[in-house]
Amino acid sequence: MSNINGKVYAMNAITPMKPWKTWILRVFLFLLGYIKAMRADVINLSFIEFARWVVISRRGFPMLGGGQVAEDLQYDYLLFFSNFNGTWNQYIDAFSAALAKGLNLVWRWSEKFPGPVPVTLFKEYIARVQFDTDYYYTAYPHATANDLKAAHVVQGAFDGLSAQAAGLSAEQFADAYLNFVLQVQGCLGETGEAPVVF
Amino acid sequence: MPNRNGTVYGLTILSPIIDDEKATPSHDLQIRQYLAGLPTDERSPFASWQNSTQGGQPATHLARLVVMDDVIYVGMPACEEHLNSKYLIFESNLDGGPNGDLDGYLRGLAETAAEHLDAIWSHCVGYPGAGNVDAFVKYMKACQLTTTFFFAAVNDKSVTESLRALQTQKAVAKFIATHQGMPAAQLQAEFLKFAADVKAAPTPRAGSMEHLTAARREIKTGGHNE
Repeated sequence: MSNINGKVYAMNAITPMKPWKTWILRVFLFLLGYIKAMRADVINLSFIEFARWVVISRRGFPMLGGGQVAEDLQYDYLLFFSNFNGTWNQYIDAFSAALAKGLNLVWRWSEKFPGPVPVTLFKEYIARVQFDTDYYYTAYPHATANDLKAAHVVQGAFDGLSAQAAGLSAEQFADAYLNFVLQVQGCLGETGEAPVVF
Repeated sequence: MPNRNGTVYGLTILSPIIDDEKATPSHDLQIRQYLAGLPTDERSPFASWQNSTQGGQPATHLARLVVMDDVIYVGMPACEEHLNSKYLIFESNLDGGPNGDLDGYLRGLAETAAEHLDAIWSHCVGYPGAGNVDAFVKYMKACQLTTTFFFAAVNDKSVTESLRALQTQKAVAKFIATHQGMPAAQLQAEFLKFAADVKAAPTPRAGSMEHLTAARREIKTGGHNE
């Protein structure tokens, strides 16, 4: 079992929802997908590489035959998978402090959800509905979401300067190089092992 | 389409695990045992797993495999209920390209990691084996759930582009630090050579931390409160 690989943590959570509430959540998540302003806080927090919510209806569990017994459930279920940077506590604290409103709109339809504030009850709830990852792979274990965003800024600026460098005079190149350095100076952080936080 | 965000595809698969009381150890434990020994670095099957329609490049950004034993009871007044099957969850964030090419990814999976797939999914109901690629793709799609909402911090870059960008970032930082105050003509010549070297450098291997100088720590827990 390992929820961690390099700088990224895999969280899995499942919560029960009454089926009639599921449709409210589906509408909200649909809007979240199409209205960028509603995702601004998650984008700006920038510690989540990938995340998803999956609603499974009570009759929606895959049925493959072959002696498999069909599920007989009263609730629909909300699955949450997140790939985030930092520790579990940092993640939940940040969720509670900065995304409380949005989180409430997602999980308030789940049974017994206490709300994201106060954070102690919220943490107890998440710990209860979380289950552990058995295998976790990342293509870039040494990098965070911010590292990736910064690296692509550097790559774009580097490609731009590389394409024109040979055709410039020395003085023109000096100016272009200075602009390049100014453009990437905030994106040159070192990647590597994650700090150990206990 | 909820499964996609830009060019990244969010694949969610739930495969029911065989419930056989005569199996020792049980099938879910056999899956867990196999996964516990599966490398998570550049030797991972995901690191070499390629999308067969996208030029043979590694196609998996992040992926996880999880055995879900049951749903979770949150206490009264909620009802307590249980699943009849345990499920193997496969969650992958992959390069789908502009058209969300899932078939190419699954075919590439069957072609590059058949041994691992069979070792894991042979404990699941109805698994046809990776040898029959068409049946395998059909099986995986039968187990697929539609992602309701999918978020990707970087949604327009492939795995290879990200690996190269991280490599370039590191090289550029070093170049800038070591070429301060240099005369313009010399700086230009050095930069042209540097740019050629960066472009010619091989792409770092997916999942690898081998380029780091310090030995990698073996911290692999990450419990709820870590």
